[in-house]
Amino acid sequence: MKSSSLLSLALGVSWIFSPEALVIAGNVSGQMGWLIFPSLIGVVIVYMVCSRLLRSESLPSSPGWDFLVLQRGSGSIPATTLSLTACLPLTILAGTALLVTAGYTFNEVFLYWFPNFGFSFLLLGLLTTLQLFRKEYALWLQLCFSTLAMGGLLLLALYGIFSPDKQSTELLQQGSGFSLSSVSLLLLIFVGHTLSVDQRRSSFPLPLVMGFLLSGLWILASLGHVSPERLAASTIPYMTTAREILDDPGRQLMGIVIISGTCGALNGLMILTRNILTTLAREKTVPLFLSTQEKRWVLPFLLAAAIGTCMATGLAGNELLESLLRSALILWLLYYSSLCLSAVRWIQKVSASMPYPALFSTLLLMAGGITLIIDDPRRLEMGIFIFSVFFATSVLSTCWHFINKRQNPTGSP
Amino acid sequence: MKKLFVLLAFFLVASALPALAGDVPTMSIEELKSRLDSPDLIILDVRSGRDWSASEFKIQGAIRAPGEQLAVWSKHYPKDNPLVLYCA
Repeated sequence: MKSSSLLSLALGVSWIFSPEALVIAGNVSGQMGWLIFPSLIGVVIVYMVCSRLLRSESLPSSPGWDFLVLQRGSGSIPATTLSLTACLPLTILAGTALLVTAGYTFNEVFLYWFPNFGFSFLLLGLLTTLQLFRKEYALWLQLCFSTLAMGGLLLLALYGIFSPDKQSTELLQQGSGFSLSSVSLLLLIFVGHTLSVDQRRSSFPLPLVMGFLLSGLWILASLGHVSPERLAASTIPYMTTAREILDDPGRQLMGIVIISGTCGALNGLMILTRNILTTLAREKTVPLFLSTQEKRWVLPFLLAAAIGTCMATGLAGNELLESLLRSALILWLLYYSSLCLSAVRWIQKVSASMPYPALFSTLLLMAGGITLIIDDPRRLEMGIFIFSVFFATSVLSTCWHFINKRQNPTGSP
Repeated sequence: MKKLFVLLAFFLVASALPALAGDVPTMSIEELKSRLDSPDLIILDVRSGRDWSASEFKIQGAIRAPGEQLAVWSKHYPKDNPLVLYCA
C-alpha cells in the first residue's frame, strides 16, 4: 500500500473511532439490538454510492475540486457559507467535547492526581503546536493516532467476541427496535470518512470499509457483553463494554483508544479546516491571512484560542454543548450532501444522464439530517444555532465578496 | 520559534490554572466510603454536561443536582444533614 493511501486511511477513520462516534455506536446498538447490523450495512452502502459519485471522472480533479463543484452547483457565496459552516463549528465544538472527554479519561484511568482540565489544555497545546510544523508531520502522527485507536479497539473487540466468559444472552434474542432517528445517527459516524484527503485519487473507499468492519466487530462484542438497556442509557458505553470484557486492563486499553482517538479526530478536523480555508483563500472568498500557506500559525492559533475559550468558560460543563455539537455534525452532513447534489448536477450536465442511485443516496443523507433535527427534543436550540451559524457566515461571506470585488474589480488574481 | 515558545507558555499556564482554586473542605474517598450507610448523609452529584457524562465515576445513590441550578435544589435539603457535593 502506498504511503499516501495509508495517510488518507488514517485521516478517513479518525472520526469513526473518536470517542463521540463510539458513544453514538454504543447507544444506537443498545436502542436497536441486532437490527443495527443491517442498518450499518445500509448506511455504508449510501456513503459508498456517494463516494463513487465524487470519484467520477467527469468531475474536476484539481486541488480544491470540491469547492469548484459546490460553487458551480450553488454559487460562490452559498458554497463559501456551506464550506465554512461545515468545518469551523465542528472543529471548535468537537474539539472542546473530545478534549474534555480525553481529560477525564486520563485522570480516571491513568493518573488520579493529574487535573483533567490540565490534561485537556496540554493536549490542545500539543496538537496546536503540531499544526505549526509542516503538514507531513501532522499526517504521519495522524497515522500513529489512528493505528493506536484502531489496534486497541480491534484487540478488545476480538477478545470480547472470543472470550469464554461472554454473556449467555443470544444476540438474536435481545430486544431490538428500529427507528429512523437511530439509523440517522449512524450517518454521523460515517460522515467522518470525508476527512480522507485524497477521495478523488483513491479508487476504493477504504476508510469506509475499515470503519464498517471494525465498528461492526466492536458492536458485536458490546452486544455480547452488555445488556442493550445499559448500552442505550450509558454516557460512556465504550468504557462500560471495555470493563466488562477485560476488567481493569480493558479500561486501560480503552483509555489509550480514547486519548489516541481524540488526538486523531482533532488533528484530522484541524487538517480539514486548514484544507478548506486554504482552498477558500485561494479562491479569494475568505481573507488571505486564513490560508496556512500565507501565515502558518494564524489558523491553528485562532482555532486553539476558540477551543480554549470554550473550555475555560465552562461550555463543557453545560448541557448546551451536546445540542451545539449535534448541530455542528448535522451541518457537516448537510455540507457533504450538498456537495454530492452539486456533483449530481455537474455529471448530469456533462454526460446528459442522471446518476439516479447517487441522487437517491444524497436525498437519503439530507433526509437523515432533517430527521436528526426534527426527532431531537433539543430541536429548538439546534434550529436556532444552525440558522444563526448560516446567517452569520453568509453575511460575512457576502461582505467579503463585495470588499474583494471593490478591491479587485477585474477579478484577476 | 519565539511564537512557538509563547504558545507553549500559554498552554502551560492554562493547564496549571486548576491549582489556583480556593480551599474548600473536602472528604476523602475512604471517609465517604465509611459513611455511605449513614441514613442522614446526602450525596449530591453537582456535575453537569460533559463533566458528568464523560466521567466513569458516578457514585451509586448520588442525586444529580447540576451546579447551575443551585438556587433551586439547595432549598430541598435540610441544612442540618451532612451534604456531600461531588464536583470533580
